[in-house]
Amino acid sequence: MRSGVRERLAGRLIDAIGADAVRTEPEDLAVYSFDAFSGETLPSAAVLPKDARDVSAIVRIASELGEPIVPRGAGTGLCGGATPARGGIVMSFARMNRILSLDAPNRRARVQPGVINLELSKQAEPQGLFFGPDPSSQKISTLGGNVGTNAGGPHALSYGSMTNHVIGLEFVTQNGEVHHTSQDDPGYDLTSALVGSEGTLGIITAIDLKLLRVPPAILVCVAAFGDVESASAAVSAIVGAGIVPTALEIMDRTITQAVEAHYHAGFPLDAGAVLLVEIAGEPDDTDASERAIAKIAREHGALSWRSASEAAERDALWASRKGAAGAIGRIAPNYYIQDATVPRTRLPQALHRVDEIARDHHLQVGNVFHAGDGNLHPLLMFDRREPRQVKAVMAAGTEILEACIALGGTISGEHGIGYEKRNALPYVFSADDLATMARVREVFDPKRLFNPDKIFPSGAVCGEVRAQPQAAVGAGAWL
Amino acid sequence: MRRSSRPTAGGGRRGRLALTQATAPAPDPTPAELRLGEIVPREILTPASVDELAAILRARNESGEAVVIVGGGTLQGIGHAPRRYDLALRTTALNRTIEYEYRDLTIAVQAGMSLAELDATLAARGQFVPLDAPQAGRGTVGGVLASGWLGPRRAAYGRPRDLLIGTTVVLADGTVAKAGGMVVKNSTGYDMSRFYCGSLGTLAAVVRANFKTLPLPEVRRVALATLPEATRKHVLENIMRLDVEPVAAFAIDGFADAVDLHDDIDGRLFLLFEGSRVLIDRATRELRSLLGAAGVPDTTLIDAGAGQSFARLIDAYTVRIGDRSATYRSRGLPGDLFGRSATIARLARLHELHLERMEDMRTGDLIARVSAPVGAQFDERIVPFDTALHAATPRAQVIAAPESWRGSLAMWGAPPPSLDVMRAIKTRFDPKGTLAPGRFVGGI
Repeated sequence: MRSGVRERLAGRLIDAIGADAVRTEPEDLAVYSFDAFSGETLPSAAVLPKDARDVSAIVRIASELGEPIVPRGAGTGLCGGATPARGGIVMSFARMNRILSLDAPNRRARVQPGVINLELSKQAEPQGLFFGPDPSSQKISTLGGNVGTNAGGPHALSYGSMTNHVIGLEFVTQNGEVHHTSQDDPGYDLTSALVGSEGTLGIITAIDLKLLRVPPAILVCVAAFGDVESASAAVSAIVGAGIVPTALEIMDRTITQAVEAHYHAGFPLDAGAVLLVEIAGEPDDTDASERAIAKIAREHGALSWRSASEAAERDALWASRKGAAGAIGRIAPNYYIQDATVPRTRLPQALHRVDEIARDHHLQVGNVFHAGDGNLHPLLMFDRREPRQVKAVMAAGTEILEACIALGGTISGEHGIGYEKRNALPYVFSADDLATMARVREVFDPKRLFNPDKIFPSGAVCGEVRAQPQAAVGAGAWL
Repeated sequence: MRRSSRPTAGGGRRGRLALTQATAPAPDPTPAELRLGEIVPREILTPASVDELAAILRARNESGEAVVIVGGGTLQGIGHAPRRYDLALRTTALNRTIEYEYRDLTIAVQAGMSLAELDATLAARGQFVPLDAPQAGRGTVGGVLASGWLGPRRAAYGRPRDLLIGTTVVLADGTVAKAGGMVVKNSTGYDMSRFYCGSLGTLAAVVRANFKTLPLPEVRRVALATLPEATRKHVLENIMRLDVEPVAAFAIDGFADAVDLHDDIDGRLFLLFEGSRVLIDRATRELRSLLGAAGVPDTTLIDAGAGQSFARLIDAYTVRIGDRSATYRSRGLPGDLFGRSATIARLARLHELHLERMEDMRTGDLIARVSAPVGAQFDERIVPFDTALHAATPRAQVIAAPESWRGSLAMWGAPPPSLDVMRAIKTRFDPKGTLAPGRFVGGI
């Protein structure tokens, strides 16, 4: 961007929302250039609105000057959804981080998008309530970001993903108007359109959420298996028997050893895979469910079974599980995580294929995943400094997606498409399917300013949808 | 494809598309039976395949006709009459199970499948999808989704769209588009499946629906009790504090067709519990203790037949009493349910209408049916009542009323916010206004 234009943009933004809420110096902008996936391009400006009025003013300016806007929560997204792929304005919600109301009798809360996911459950706990979706990033990721990607987490198995918990939204349209949606209103379901739209339809400024009653009894059980295939066969059998506990998670040996070295939660180090089962409800029910699940696990080769009912012990097990990706730092300098989802009975085949593909490409892989939902998270380990490894990782990633699609699955269960997987979208959807989604986008984002270059394959809206090789990570990848 | 037509002067629309053999046994409705408001469709077609349905839509869209998608016709009471209505396009011949991966707890069915058949298919494998819509024998899966129908058990299990994991639809121009898939967790592109829910056939015809299914509970139990006025306050204040929550909980006045107790008793409690036997037995003890302490005389428990009792209650939502009743659904927070209910009761008295109520304590829904006694002038009372009702509770929606009153009542209540966005969406999906023009909120 030419410096004159940049100065004009900065001037307009400062006039509208104040100098302390606008960043334009390159050293300040660097932190807004990337998320947990990657990022190379600096934005022209970063803004920190304090309310919907600020957001509206920023959107009006961006719209007038033709500047893209990229909304950003905590930057924990794994698919490049919060990266300013073509510059423009990054909008951080760090100052819109208040819980606006917590209505215990009606079990709902209204929050600003910058509220940290876990904070809501903490605030609701004294009322016997909690918030369902719990992505592993929940200690740092924001509810606004969670809405954007339709985040899930281990408990999505029984509680569902964000879309099942958002009951209304406040959002700013491209012409700067502030709109409200509610699932209690008749009309087209704008709430459902906005959830999972990764900032491409409007800028969300407030979120109405459902809260759930804290169950009276919670058990977290750990079963050890010889390998990841038998653990996943056990999961398929548990679900197939019509038993849906609150969470069914698997970690393979690589992951278990990495997290155990860091957290010391007592996972069996000699097991090929560990199955983590959470069972919640009334005590009579949880005990009966545990017996039924343990029986199926043993029938599928479980080597041991241990259950934790005390909160401290449960929390330690969950902290380990949710810290798995971070613990990989002990093994490899970089990892690339996939998010493909398959029908749950196909888990053993999917895991087998992941293993084969990693071996073909001489890559080490760790598996830590939401088995109950069929949501895989293979972590392919590599060193970014080795171009050959980067290439192998990208090729393996694409093969894993193709394998999962061939098994009846899809390319994202909870991380979203973002920048990273947009050119893989045609693997799942036809040109007509994508053009239908694009109709929605054209209504909300006629100028293509809301998080451009995300979700849709390059050229999708012009009708040039076709399967393309996945974009590589790194400089020059932005299209 | 089956077709039936009202005779037209030139008969020119006949024979445009090839006829195929009738496949479904149900008697075809006549055009008069599919009337909406004052408009009777000129023609009815029942395509036997998605391709055929798409070809019909493409052709009619090109020729500028107006098409209303019809499932079982059980929820057609919702919404305005269309501005134009040339063709009723029925989905009832698209009634097959496409994939039932019961070990995955997922099912894909064609949208014209009846709710009863879906239930039976799932029950054979010990599963269910709680759609909770009236007249399950006739009502279709597609109709439930398109109408945005909301049943009482959504508080426990989610709305129909929360269990919907994928769809295939046909757009006005004949484009066949799919969304979602057969996995239970999905963040791959926009969630178009949910987006079509509640659009009342004004964006697309849903032809396939994929659901995640739930394991059937071990026990389903209905608890019925009369609620003498002296006990009402105490019971209703405490019922939602039970340790074991009912999956549906109603206070009911009237609606004798819904609850098989004595006809003319006001003040009844209807609770549905679902879960393990141990849990439901505990819930029953807890409930009896609460009701006993409140002075409620006795409680009837129904185990065998609980499902039918519950279905009868849901059927009552859309039952009309001759041509002299109208039923409203007022949605809102459970916390202000009784306040809204009292307001509506006051307005009914003021307009000399008989009021029957189902207060859904878990969802906050109020189902209110007003009627006039035989011989009284319903017509003269209902319009001023409708106006007063919407002044007090702007979002109340008409869900059943005499066809001739569609044009006089505020069928959708006050227009929702963002109506301009919704109009733009309609224009982008259906620029020629082929799909049920005028039938939706704000005359979309």
